[in-house]
Formats: sequence, structure tokens, C-alpha cells
Amino acid sequence: MLALICLLSLFFLRDHPRLVAVQQGAIDGVAFTTGVILAPVEAWERMVAAMDSRTDLQEEVLRLQQENRVLKGQSQRLAALLSENARYKALLRSAQLIDDELIAAQIIAVSPDPSRHIVVIDKGVLDGVKEGQPMLGEEGLMGQIILSGERNSRAVLITDSAHALPVQVNRSGLRAIAEGSGVIDRLLIRHLPAKSDIRVGDLLVTSGLGGRFPNGYPVARVTEVVISDGEAFALVTAEPISALDRGRYVLVLQRTVGSGAES
Amino acid sequence: MERSRSSWVIYLSLGCALLFMLIPFPLEWRIFRPDIATLTLFYWVLALPQRVGVTTAFVLGLGQDLIEGSPLGLSSLGLMVSVLVLLSNYQRIRQFDGVQQSLMMLVLLMLASGAEQWLRNGLGMPGLPWLGLVGLFCSTFCWLVVREILRLLRRYYEVT
Repeated sequence: MLALICLLSLFFLRDHPRLVAVQQGAIDGVAFTTGVILAPVEAWERMVAAMDSRTDLQEEVLRLQQENRVLKGQSQRLAALLSENARYKALLRSAQLIDDELIAAQIIAVSPDPSRHIVVIDKGVLDGVKEGQPMLGEEGLMGQIILSGERNSRAVLITDSAHALPVQVNRSGLRAIAEGSGVIDRLLIRHLPAKSDIRVGDLLVTSGLGGRFPNGYPVARVTEVVISDGEAFALVTAEPISALDRGRYVLVLQRTVGSGAES
Repeated sequence: MERSRSSWVIYLSLGCALLFMLIPFPLEWRIFRPDIATLTLFYWVLALPQRVGVTTAFVLGLGQDLIEGSPLGLSSLGLMVSVLVLLSNYQRIRQFDGVQQSLMMLVLLMLASGAEQWLRNGLGMPGLPWLGLVGLFCSTFCWLVVREILRLLRRYYEVT
């Protein structure tokens, strides 16, 4: 009887709203409990940080200020480019302009299931995080949100073996699908004709096809291109740009679609 | 009355074992995490087969799925199958010495995760890598520790 319930739930009711609601609640529960378990560790870390010497902190502040200045300078240029781009798009009567807004979040837990690359972040529906939104690291794309609870969400990383995303070689514009391999530092491109223009060191960026990821975000760098005789397809391996297993801070991309005039 | 007084020990220990899943492990080290929750379940089935059985296995499996974020029922089925096996052989397994019992646990864990793999294939989900078997061995090594701790608990609170 219970076995029947299991099979039913697995094969026919996977997307039943009630079950999904339970799972959404569970995300918040998991996040809360992890927080409680980790509270002593964090208290310890805070104590250690508080004991950092004054000069160290001053140096750190100085370094961050400099970094901030550089970034501000770069973003000035970006603003100019964006408005220029908007003008061109308006000239071309392109349908809609997309404005990206970022939500800063923190990774607070990793799913215990070793076959998946799934993390829990500390922002949820209340913060505007919704299913399907892309998640960025400092350097590049990390993954996307798969289920969001009220205050926390679950996100799948691009290297998860059930994940694949449309990419484009930045140099040649060649389009491909980058699949997760289940290994944290490897993406695979399988079905690329052996004569394709792709080389080791090429940067892969999101192509924007499929509509889930906006185009132009860096994803991975090609590390290996294997073309074996007699095979129709090349096997391309790439390494994600952002260190998926390090760092806690991520950004969730929220897309707001605005008209050309507003931008 | 007697019954309800001590049953909290069982559920509390299962709950604490589930909490063990929440302790963060680095992404690539997760395969080494011993499956304490399943071992705890096996212990209670072995010790009190008249009270802990397939239903508890079902609920525990649901708990595991909620924590992992996998479709509900994925771990339940495997746990239920292995608990059934355990229930029909508990008298024999109780007589085994430590090593034999650990090996028996390995077989049961393999049965449970085998059923889970089979379901994953059916659902088109990525399966465990072969290295995932390492986790089962880690769990096997933990069996004696888990057994001793829970035995102490059971004697102290006189759970019958």
C-alpha cells in the first residue's frame, strides 16, 4: 500500500501543487535547521574575526576601497555602453529591452545527495527570487533556481548531470549545448560536428536561446577538444569560470522587461 | 501509556540522525557521508520489530527526500524493501557477531540504494556515480558505533 503511494507520488504526482508546497516548506525548514546547527561554528568564526588585528583590518579596508574605485570606474563605462546599446536597439526597433536586476544571496547549504549539485540559498519568494532565475557567481554563471520557498530557495548548478544550457563560443559565435557532467569542474559539449571552429581556451558565454538565461554571461572556458578519427562529433570539455565549490556569495538575476524609452 | 512514554526516544533518535544529513560537507566529499538515519532505522527494526517497521521506514524516507530535495518517495521505497527483509530475518541477524552484522547491514544498504537507483533510472534522474558505493562502506563501518549508542539509549530509557 505504502509502496503504491511511493510509486504514485514519484511517477504521477511529481508536480502536484500540494506536494510542491510541502517541498517548498521543507526548503525553509532545512535552511533554518542548518542555521541552528551551524550557529556555534559561526559564533566561533565571528570571535576569531573580531580578534583580527587592527592593522590587518585597515589594510583590508584600503584594498577594498581601491577595488571599489576600480569597479566604479568600470561600471561608468558600462552605463555609457548600456545607454548607447539602448539607442541602437531603439533605432533597430528591437522589440523589448531587458533590464537585469541583481539580488545578492548567500549559499547556506548543499544538498546531501551526492549525485546532484544542488545548493540552498538564503533568499526566497519574499525577496523576489523565483523558479528559473539564473544564479551568478563573481566571475560567471553558476546555475539556476529550481524551487523557491518563502525565505530560501534551491538552485541547481550548471555542472549537475541533469542540467544543460545553450552557450555560444565568444570568439566564433558557434552555438552549442553545454551539459553538466556531475563533476564540479567540468562541462561537456557532446554534439558538435568534428569540423566546428572551437579551440582550447575559447570562452563560452550564454547564448540567450531557450529564453531562460539572458545572453552574454560568461559560463566556461574550453579545456579540451577531442576529435577522434571516424567520429562525427567532437567531444569538448570546458571548465566553469566561477568556482562552483568555493565562495558563498551569489547573485540572482531578476529580469525586468522594460520598453526602450524607459531605458 | 507505557508505550507512548518511551516511543519518543525512537523518533527523537531518528530525527537527530536526519539532522546529520544537514551538516555541511564539501561538495566532492558528500559521498563519504555515512547514512546514519538508515542505520538508526535498521537498529530500531532489529531491536523492536513489533513497533518499528515499514511505516516508519516510509516516513523516514520522506524526510530524507525533503532534505535532499528529491521527488517525494524516492528513498522510501528502498528503505521499505530493506526493512521488510530485515523484519523477516531479524531473529537470525540478532545472533550474528559484530562483523557479520556489519556485512548484513552493507547488504541491506545496497538493497536500499539499489532500489533507489532503479527508481532514478525510471525517472530519468542522474544516478549515483560508482564512487558512491564508498558511502555505503562508510555507513557499514559506522554500524557498530550506532548500535552501541542506541543500545545505551534504549537500556537507559527502557524502551520496549
